[in-house]
Amino acid sequence: MSSKTGRPAMRSAAWRISLWATLAFACGTMVVFVFLQSFVAGDIQRRSDAWLSGEVEVLGDVAERTPKDALYGRVVGEVAELAAREVPNKEASETESNDSVFFLQSGSDGSLKLWVGAGSGDDHLKAIRTTEIPPDHPTDVRIPGFPVPFRVACLRADDGSHIYLGLSERDELRVLRSLRFRFFLLWLLIVLLGFGIVFLTTRRMLSHVREITEAASRIGHSDLTARVPATKRNDEVSQLALTLNRMLDRIESSMHQLHTITDSLAHDLRSPLTAIRGKLEMSLSTITEGEQVDPIVSAIDELDRLTDFLNKSLDVAEAKADALRLTRSAVDLNELLRVMIDLYEPSMSERGLRVSLQSSVPVRILADAALLHRMVANLLDNELKHLPPDCTLTMELRGEEDSARLILEDDGPGFDPEVLLHLFEGRVKGRDSDGHGLGLAFVDAVARAHGGSVAVSNREVGGARIAVTLPAFPEPNSHSPLLASSSSN
Amino acid sequence: MRLLLVEDEIDIQSFLRRSLEEAGYQVEVAPDGKTAQRLAVEGPFDILIVDLGLPDQDGISLILRLRQQGVRAPVLILSARRSVDDRVRGLEQGGDDYLTKPFALAELLARLRNLLKRNSPAASEATRLRVLDLELDLLRREASRGGQILQLTQQEFVLLEYLCRNAGRVVTRSMILDKVWGMRIQPDTNVVDVHIYRLRGKVDGAGQQPLIRTMRGVGYVLKDR
Repeated sequence: MSSKTGRPAMRSAAWRISLWATLAFACGTMVVFVFLQSFVAGDIQRRSDAWLSGEVEVLGDVAERTPKDALYGRVVGEVAELAAREVPNKEASETESNDSVFFLQSGSDGSLKLWVGAGSGDDHLKAIRTTEIPPDHPTDVRIPGFPVPFRVACLRADDGSHIYLGLSERDELRVLRSLRFRFFLLWLLIVLLGFGIVFLTTRRMLSHVREITEAASRIGHSDLTARVPATKRNDEVSQLALTLNRMLDRIESSMHQLHTITDSLAHDLRSPLTAIRGKLEMSLSTITEGEQVDPIVSAIDELDRLTDFLNKSLDVAEAKADALRLTRSAVDLNELLRVMIDLYEPSMSERGLRVSLQSSVPVRILADAALLHRMVANLLDNELKHLPPDCTLTMELRGEEDSARLILEDDGPGFDPEVLLHLFEGRVKGRDSDGHGLGLAFVDAVARAHGGSVAVSNREVGGARIAVTLPAFPEPNSHSPLLASSSSN
Repeated sequence: MRLLLVEDEIDIQSFLRRSLEEAGYQVEVAPDGKTAQRLAVEGPFDILIVDLGLPDQDGISLILRLRQQGVRAPVLILSARRSVDDRVRGLEQGGDDYLTKPFALAELLARLRNLLKRNSPAASEATRLRVLDLELDLLRREASRGGQILQLTQQEFVLLEYLCRNAGRVVTRSMILDKVWGMRIQPDTNVVDVHIYRLRGKVDGAGQQPLIRTMRGVGYVLKDR
């Protein structure tokens, strides 16, 4: 079932597809059944009409040949009763008397001459008189007191009298009703069965698609070496999986290439940097004091700054390509921030800045601790360099359901509106900045590598506001609660 | 102390050899993995420095193979990569250490000393540290100079303890950040210096001989003479 993702079956695509398919199927079979039913009804009607026409002729013949004496009524009546027993589609009547068939002979003056059937026959005669019944063509006649109309055939005798033979349509309707009922049951069965089959098939098919989606999103967030599951069948879905896997192969190889390039670039630059630094340090140890020390010391400083710049540039470049490698472990952001503030507080107060952290409970996330250290160091370095004296920096840490938010607010001059637009591009720097303008680009890079984000704005009351959001867990599908309590103020 | 340096870059090789020999190590150099393997198995070494980017093989594989062959000496890994991968972390947990290039010589030497100390039979942990007239009581977390108790914060005490443990030797800013604050960052502001100034203000009072010295371009040293 789709309980894995907790999605109700009625909202799935499989449900919708099978609903529409079943609707079309149900309409189609319904049309076929309606056609079949009308065909059967017509056929039954024709048969009973043929019977009526035949019988009325026989009765007419008998009536004509039987001498009109005292026995006439009995002879014709017996013949009519015999005929009634051969009624097509007949069902055993509930009553003794046969009320599904009647025989009626009216005189030329229209009076009731002979009656065979249930009741007196007056109602029947009255109803027949009001209806015009062409000879040789049985017609429906409604008789008061009978819920079902009669099919009546008429024959005109030579002596001017009329012979009527009526057959109740009750049995015909009953047959049709039972036919309809069976049709309906069959139709319902077929439709439900069809719905079930379509639903199960599409769901199975779509569950492959869902597996592919889940695997792809997992891959997108963490592991590039993983592949989506492929089935052995060679249908569209497995082709989708194959295409995705081929695409992933290419992405992985270009990612690998990027790593190789950045690694070899880092390596090729670091080796000479190491050698230069080592030589500078050695020459520094040979001279004791004096004027020569200064250039060497500043050269070492420059070298260190160059190294840091190189590191950050490569990190930012890799993060922009979503290729920054993380080594995750459980990190308590509250603890991490306290240590960082402890480190930075003396420098801040030296410059006349106040810093405070608003957070009390542990906020644990799965993250790369080393990168987070560097990220927070960048944020604090940035404040330290740009805030004029006598400003206050407020840091607030919030543990939300499945993410952590770090908000830095200061009451300094805020960001240059122009700078604000291109802050994360890694090239801009504020007017008075002496850095490489990489700081915030690096912060953004680290946040994004963790699946988080950075929002930078100027506060309405003045000053800058930087909000870093980091998800608590790398898996986007994971709904486990954050290890910390949800509010922290 | 016999040290095997496995490094293919001639420039780095030469200055490392010189400064290591100056620091009192007996240095053998291997320019590639094959030579390193032969040398390491032949003669016992007290410590190894292995660069990860060797021409003929991966440094980590070399270390793992040496371990299989019974080489027990601790290893200081030199890495030119920015991120430390899981295998290096694994080795670090196994008692080895790593250093990313470029590095300060002082830091390299300090890490070598730490590795050697870690692997020598543990000396009974002292409860008091004494450098000249500076005395640290590690149990009561109290520092005093010339009998005068110093009013230090918890953090300042840890910093001073670290300086005392390395008295007479240079410690760099990144070493201080690593050991005292537990993070490997390179701030482009003077955060460490301000901590040192504050500590110096408390330790080196007026009229006293200054103990905490700045080694320009390198780091700091706590004088022990």
